Amino acid sequence: MKAQERLEQVIDNIEKVIIGKRNIAELSIVAMLSHGHVLLEDVPGVGKTMLVRALAKSVGADFKRIQFTPDLLPSDVIGVSIYNPKDMEFHFRPGPIMGNIVLADEINRTSPKTQSSLLEAMEEASVTIDGVTMQIPKPFFVMATQNPIEYEGTYPLPEAQLDRFLLKIKMGYPSSKEEMEVLSRSQISAPIEDLRSVITLEELIRLQEEVKLVKVDETIRSYIVELARHTRTEPYVYLGVSPRGSIALMKASQAYAMLKGRDYVTPDDVQHLAKFVFGHRIMLRSEARYDGVTAEEITDRILAKTRVPVQRYVGQ
Amino acid sequence: MNSIRKNKVFMAVLYVLVFLLLAEWLTPVMSLTATAHKPLFLIFIGLGLVMALAKVPWWISGPVKTIYVLWFIVYVYTGQGFFSNSSIVFLWSDFTANFIALTSQNWAETTDVFRTVLFFALLWMAVYLIHYWVSFRLSIFLFYLLTVVFIAVLDTFSPYTGDTAIIRIMVIGLMLAGLLHLARWIETHRIPVKIDKIATYVIPLFLMVAASTAVALYLPKSGPIWPDPVPYITSFSGEAGTGPGGAVGRIGYGVDDSQLGGSFIGDDTPVFRAEVEDGQYWKVESKDFYTTKGWRVTRNVGDTIVYGNEQQVDTDFAPGDPDQETTALLSMEQDFPFVLYPYGTKSFLMNETPDYEYDTADQRFDTFLNGSVFEPELYEVEFSEPSFSLTALQETSVEDLEELPAEFDRFVQLPDELPQRVRDLAVEITESSDSVYDKTRAVERYFSNNNFEYSQQDIPIPEEGQDYVDQFLFETKRGYCDNFSTSMVVLLRALDIPARWVKGFNEGELINASDGRDVYEITNNNAHSWVEAYMPGVGWMLFEPTIGFTGSSDVEFDLETGETTPEDAEMPDRPDPLQPEEPEMDEAGTEISGPTVRERLNQFFTENKAKIIWSLIGLALLAALLFKMRSKWLPKVLIPYYRTRSGSAQTFEKAYLRLLKQLDLYGIKRGEGQTLRSYAAYIDSFFGTHEMSRLTAAYERSVYGGNGDSVDWHELKESWENLINRTSG
Repeated sequence: MKAQERLEQVIDNIEKVIIGKRNIAELSIVAMLSHGHVLLEDVPGVGKTMLVRALAKSVGADFKRIQFTPDLLPSDVIGVSIYNPKDMEFHFRPGPIMGNIVLADEINRTSPKTQSSLLEAMEEASVTIDGVTMQIPKPFFVMATQNPIEYEGTYPLPEAQLDRFLLKIKMGYPSSKEEMEVLSRSQISAPIEDLRSVITLEELIRLQEEVKLVKVDETIRSYIVELARHTRTEPYVYLGVSPRGSIALMKASQAYAMLKGRDYVTPDDVQHLAKFVFGHRIMLRSEARYDGVTAEEITDRILAKTRVPVQRYVGQ
Repeated sequence: MNSIRKNKVFMAVLYVLVFLLLAEWLTPVMSLTATAHKPLFLIFIGLGLVMALAKVPWWISGPVKTIYVLWFIVYVYTGQGFFSNSSIVFLWSDFTANFIALTSQNWAETTDVFRTVLFFALLWMAVYLIHYWVSFRLSIFLFYLLTVVFIAVLDTFSPYTGDTAIIRIMVIGLMLAGLLHLARWIETHRIPVKIDKIATYVIPLFLMVAASTAVALYLPKSGPIWPDPVPYITSFSGEAGTGPGGAVGRIGYGVDDSQLGGSFIGDDTPVFRAEVEDGQYWKVESKDFYTTKGWRVTRNVGDTIVYGNEQQVDTDFAPGDPDQETTALLSMEQDFPFVLYPYGTKSFLMNETPDYEYDTADQRFDTFLNGSVFEPELYEVEFSEPSFSLTALQETSVEDLEELPAEFDRFVQLPDELPQRVRDLAVEITESSDSVYDKTRAVERYFSNNNFEYSQQDIPIPEEGQDYVDQFLFETKRGYCDNFSTSMVVLLRALDIPARWVKGFNEGELINASDGRDVYEITNNNAHSWVEAYMPGVGWMLFEPTIGFTGSSDVEFDLETGETTPEDAEMPDRPDPLQPEEPEMDEAGTEISGPTVRERLNQFFTENKAKIIWSLIGLALLAALLFKMRSKWLPKVLIPYYRTRSGSAQTFEKAYLRLLKQLDLYGIKRGEGQTLRSYAAYIDSFFGTHEMSRLTAAYERSVYGGNGDSVDWHELKESWENLINRTSG
């Protein structure tokens, strides 16, 4: 399939830079194809920024980076109107959010006010300043990172805000072999500099439209709904996955199916993505934390016990 | 790598041992069937084994063996040279004779030559099978075991003595099994065949077998722990004398009937011969007093009447039509102090001039000569079978029974201990009958319609406090004439119908027939008992309740023709023992319709309840077993079924789901949350195929993708069949 080949090229491109993280690259593309955003949660130095840059370069997109600090203001993100005494008018100076691919680094370090301005922009794909609404250029893809180990002086994102992210991905350390490969590639120059774009923004937008046409059979829809419902009844779970979460899983599955060269979603797609879609949407009770149960484990448990539909949907 | 199968010496040793084992089979067969030419048969076996060993192709070995068989036949049966015209003529004529006999199913007319050929075919098959076992399976245990069992059984049950044969077989078998074990060992572990390695195994094997045999022969042997089972087993098959416990008696005419019951074994010792026109029931006497265990005669009743030769006797059965008068000539082979007489006896005649003392109490004709007991040897009986009018019989009414004189009281005697259920049964059986005759007939027929079984084996003797009739009617339902006749008498008496128990002999076996005079031989096996019942206004009549016996009174169908159809006229005839029921006499023939069918069905179900229930249970068990085993046989059904189906996506989906079920039955379970794809990957890694993934991809496309048109069932069929076949393995 044409789309699959193009997307494979993007992934291959990213792999040149980020070694051994094909899955992460795939998930990033899945999020981008389904108009979603990604929350990357990991320690510094594992290549989060590099991933986003490689992605941006591969699709020939405009790459912006916002380093979130406690004193960052919303206007630092979305832009500000500046009075020009020459023509006695206010001129809008767009903030870094007005890019195709935005890396919001250490999003939990800034104040909730600034966080919510970013999240609103992500949700609406537009910003409003002084009563003027401005569309953010398409495609628009935010990849936010947060550091899970430092809590001093951070403002953890409220759970409701987390819902705005389609996927939450953990990067993880490379294996020793991969790390040695990273070292050898970085010896002379950073490989990111040699990357060329393999897909145009127009193509990307077209693919985003095509993803919506990927068939989601009744059986798959019922399967997704069953999974979401199960999260709401798990004993460790304080708040389960919202219908927005179900939609997110469906959209992500569609994109993943396209990535795998199919025009229909299979339960395998759903299972593959459930962990990344549900992980940050399940709010656990404190007992779960005492028992060392994570949202990912809960998701695995639900996947194991929810019956996979194998027959034609016949209604209930 | 060198296979042990290619080691000629090793295989030759194996085949020699097999030859010896086969020879052990041949020896008892030859001696028991009195077949000669054992060496020639052995040569045939040897020939077969050698050719198998030398891997002679079948198109050579087959003709060689066939020619050997033909040569054998010519040599043994004609003694002529094989390459001569006469031998071909002989073979051809014999072949045609046998062919004709076989096609016309005259099995008895096949010749010895044919049997010889069959025997050779058997040997041929045996050689082939053993060759297969030894050369391919490298396993002989089953055959070894069979040989031991065969010799042991023959030794136990036939004149053949396998004392030394069993030792030889043990030695040969142990050697064979040991060597084959070595061969299997070498094959499975791919050990290079080296003579010294084989020797390190074989030499200890020989020594161990030799040593253990020698020790076993030398050691003293204790006697058998179990008693010899053969007499016990043969006693069951009726070949031996009185069995243990005295429960089995020998059949024949006895005097004491106060304790009936127990099993009988046959005895065909002749009692007498009767030259007569038709077979008759030969009455000796009757008994009237039922004791709950058997029969006695009431003493001090009745009169004794003395008759002489040719004097007309007066029994309860007056001779019938004088035109039908005939004679019977009886020659006794056992000595009895009385004469046997058929129904309707008019007079006796013999060379001697004895007194025939007729006792009306038991209706026996004792013979005395010059005041002392006389045992006649040859006498003639003149008789005419009495016949009874059906019209008169139909008119016998129950009310008349009450008016019978007191002398009939002893024929309605019953013990007080008689269980009430016997009386209830009698009423139940005769409920729908009106006349005394019909009631009596209903009782007579009861036994053949209600699952009673005729048997002389395993018949219990009633225990203390148990009624003989009650036991038979309600518990055992198995028995011989005494059970049936006694039960009928008791049932009739329960209805106040006078009845008595009669002893004598039945017709016997027809041994010679010429111009209207038949000669019957009556043996102890023909000792019999039956029933006489009194029909008010008509007289005494013979009834035969015992299943499989055909004695009867001659009833004239003198009903007015206006009322009866020909079918009706047939009806009062003695029912065939197999005929389930007889329509009611007084019903018009045309009324046999709906209710009778229902009644018949009801009766069929009540009669065969046990059979039906057991059949249902059997069917249910069979069904359960089939269900349990369905993973084994289901693919055999599914493959042809789906092979013929259309190539639509629907068929494919059904077939795929079937396959999932089948795999589940096979034992590869799919987890609740396992997707088809990961399951397919597991299946493929399990079977080492890629077919399940292929099928699954198509299935996903069809079900999740909604694109059934892209599925080509014909293309996928092979993969599907391949997988489903694996699940039945």
